[in-house]
Amino acid sequence: MSLLTRILRRLTPHDHSAVIRERLESFKALLRGNNRILELMAEAGEMLGGEYVFDTQYLRSLAADLEKAMHEVVYNLQIITGEHHAELLNKVQTIAAEIRAAIDSRLVVPKADLVIPLDRVNLDMAEVVGDKMARLGEVRERLGCRVPDGFVVSAYACRQFLESAGIDPTTAENPPETLRELRRRVENAELPKELTREIRKGLKELERKGGISTLAVRSSALGEDGQTSFAGLYETVLGVAPEDALAAYKQVVASLYSDHVVVYRRRCGLPPTQGLMPVGFLKMIPAHAGGVAYSLDPARPESDIVLVSASRGLGKTVVEGTAPVDTFELSRQPPYSVVERRIADKETAYTSGPQGGLRQTPIPHSERRSPAITDQQLAEVAAATLMIERYMKRAQDIEWALDREGRLHIVQVRPLAIPESEPPGGRMLREAASRYPVLLAGQGVVACRGIGYGRVHVVDDRSPADPPPQAVLVARTPTPRLAASLAEASAVITDIGTATGHLAAIAREMRVPAIVDVGDATRLLEEGQEVTVDAEENVVYRGKVDELLRFHLTQRFSFEERLEYRLLRSLLHRIAPLHLVEPESPAFTATNCSTYHDIIRFAHEVAVRELITGSWLRAPRTGSAIRRLLLDIPIDLVLIDLGDGLWETQDPRKAQVENVRCAPLRALLEGLLSEGAWATDPADMDPNGFMASATRGGALTRPLAARPEQNLAILSLEYLHLNLKLGYHFNIIDCYLADERNHNYIYFRFAGGVTEITRRSRRAVVLRKILESFDFITEGTGDLVIGRIKKISRNEMVDRLRMIGRLIGFTRQLDILLRDDALVEHSVKRFLKQVYDETAGKSAWGKR
Amino acid sequence: MSNQGDVLVLDDEPIVCERLTEHLQKNDFSVEAFTESSKAIERLAERTFDVVVTDLKMKGPTGLEILHYVRDHALGTQVIIITGYASIDSMREAEYGGVFEFVPKPFRMERLTSLVKKATRKARKEKR
Repeated sequence: MSLLTRILRRLTPHDHSAVIRERLESFKALLRGNNRILELMAEAGEMLGGEYVFDTQYLRSLAADLEKAMHEVVYNLQIITGEHHAELLNKVQTIAAEIRAAIDSRLVVPKADLVIPLDRVNLDMAEVVGDKMARLGEVRERLGCRVPDGFVVSAYACRQFLESAGIDPTTAENPPETLRELRRRVENAELPKELTREIRKGLKELERKGGISTLAVRSSALGEDGQTSFAGLYETVLGVAPEDALAAYKQVVASLYSDHVVVYRRRCGLPPTQGLMPVGFLKMIPAHAGGVAYSLDPARPESDIVLVSASRGLGKTVVEGTAPVDTFELSRQPPYSVVERRIADKETAYTSGPQGGLRQTPIPHSERRSPAITDQQLAEVAAATLMIERYMKRAQDIEWALDREGRLHIVQVRPLAIPESEPPGGRMLREAASRYPVLLAGQGVVACRGIGYGRVHVVDDRSPADPPPQAVLVARTPTPRLAASLAEASAVITDIGTATGHLAAIAREMRVPAIVDVGDATRLLEEGQEVTVDAEENVVYRGKVDELLRFHLTQRFSFEERLEYRLLRSLLHRIAPLHLVEPESPAFTATNCSTYHDIIRFAHEVAVRELITGSWLRAPRTGSAIRRLLLDIPIDLVLIDLGDGLWETQDPRKAQVENVRCAPLRALLEGLLSEGAWATDPADMDPNGFMASATRGGALTRPLAARPEQNLAILSLEYLHLNLKLGYHFNIIDCYLADERNHNYIYFRFAGGVTEITRRSRRAVVLRKILESFDFITEGTGDLVIGRIKKISRNEMVDRLRMIGRLIGFTRQLDILLRDDALVEHSVKRFLKQVYDETAGKSAWGKR
Repeated sequence: MSNQGDVLVLDDEPIVCERLTEHLQKNDFSVEAFTESSKAIERLAERTFDVVVTDLKMKGPTGLEILHYVRDHALGTQVIIITGYASIDSMREAEYGGVFEFVPKPFRMERLTSLVKKATRKARKEKR
């Protein structure tokens, strides 16, 4: 029997409570489902950090648990609103089916546009555009590298094409036809009309952006260059004239079924013919010189050099290794000087012909023995290669081209495959590392694995907005500001925080090594100090531990490239992003929900709206269990007693504070009625006195009085559901408080407000900070804040409910006062100080 | 530091074998990994290990059968069972069969490494 059922069973039959009972119970079930989904999402995010070992079975049970909780949410929403939300139900079923299909077939094909311009591509889209194009898009858009214009024909488009050609790309075992037959089918099939149209549109767009002479049409298979290196196995066609683009597309797709690919796939234990091929179309660079760069020498990773090979004309000669080319070794340290060079006798160069196709042209005798590239250009190649390595956090293999003006273009980026050697065991690494002083060890929790090196930069209120690049960020708390600086950081460490928190999630997304909840990192680490953060073993060393850094760069493939991780990442893309942000916006509709997170946010909002405004609440305003609470402050609070929430009252219509038995309400009232909690003088808020002008601003700055009949408390001895509308704020508190800690919880929700959105969002920041400092898990967007805590002791509950009582008084005017970001921290501190002063020495959180 | 212990890892999901091998090797264990339980049993017949880390549900002999095999044939070897389905019955049976520890999946790698360390100590003591 559920908790609420137990409470509700005690109701006297003549109360008008049947409706309340049903709806409240559904609301609670909806919250449960909602919380469960948020927890599962957080947990799944945590898995991506690499600390955990999980398998396909975990993915299956994750998908099943999510689906079950999603159904619970939608089902209960139907009960609360009395409407049939068919559209939401459909969405849940569609997403659930896609997720299941992805796990079963081990083939992830997110629905996407057929053709995607390269400037919209980034690393998160690997499942859509393939690894090769995802990386190119990433270094172009996020690192600012010069990459040729182009577009990608997505995996989704490939599936449509294959299916229209009568090929099932999920057939795994024993292809019914010979490979030759499959290839023939692909090459002879008509492309679907829509795909042809989209590719032509893409070409036209490229034409518009500075014209095309010829194209490079490149394979970008899913999983290519990843766990198993398919480098060079799939087709890439260079020098394609725009009118031959469609044929080249088919040629590249057909290479899915080439003999050596299938043999290789079998050898790797992969289903031989399963798969899809996203294909990139890039403008050919009329290259003066081209080649390849390795950020490390794979044969001697310990030598501190970048390897560059170069040929005249296109880099094809280098890639194929068909003719002698120049090779250079450069230092990995600026200014990247050349330490070794071998200039070859280069007889010919590949260039792309004006009408398409490639030509091999002889190099004049006088130039054959001169280097294909100058030292300055080499330094530029090395700098770009190392920048990409730093960003990707792995050794890199780059293909580059210099155009006739000598500008450097990056045409391919992939992790460098280091041949397998004896793994440098923990012993060797630890011996090397033991030469460095340990600053922190075993403290805190690893939120994202990895190794990072840089100078410590302590982020606090006073530090400048932009930290130096490649810094090791150290902070007291995981603030949103810290999260915003992560992209450039080499590692992050916080004193407080959890592996499921917001910052941890962002760190994993950006693959920044992260250790949280360390306790006193801000005390132990000094600004500007050089440190190496080993978030594999949870140790921070003073200085630069080269052995660890190199080991990390040369790991053959990291956990995140394995299929299970890719699957989980792509499932999360279907689940976790939140697009429905503003409940007031006309876009806040069921139709616009595209992820599970959208759906629960939408359902939650609709349910709460019904709870606040629904006619069901007005029905029982008279009756034996209804009292008005007499308070000295202007809150008109109506109490509905579900049983044992009140002592006997003299007046059947009114209750005094002393009459309240309900434990959570008593605690909350203690806070709300404590000195200074309600009547806050706005001028107090201002650290410098410039708020004085605001207080003269008129009606808006007067403390907002409650309207009559807006505030409702539904209570029993242990349970409280409080629905407040103070001024323009909506506040819901739903909680249970008893001796058994496993049943205890507080749910806090705050939204709405009279000022413009920036102040409201500041208020949301203040609320979240305050709640988080009392261990609540918070989420929210815009001006909405939801805080949850559960399974804490009776005393901890009482402390927090008192705090919330105070918070209700405090927040009434916050949004009006928060004119300035600087006031955010001030408000938080001021509130925490109030709570501290009030309770110092009295309770557990007096310590704070 | 010398070899920390000889470990056999058995799980039909390659990712579990790979990640455990990687992590245990980094902690100086010598590791052999198998995705088929029949092959693992063949190997167990050939040589002794300090610790066997095995999945519960697999095609062919299950984790419990591996546990019984080890009990009967390999003195001192400790067995850690990792599983996504931890039913009370199977846990009880494993307990009865002398399992060193039952670990639900997913698990933190550090947790497993420290269990393997403890199990190795116990194994070496019992073998003496």
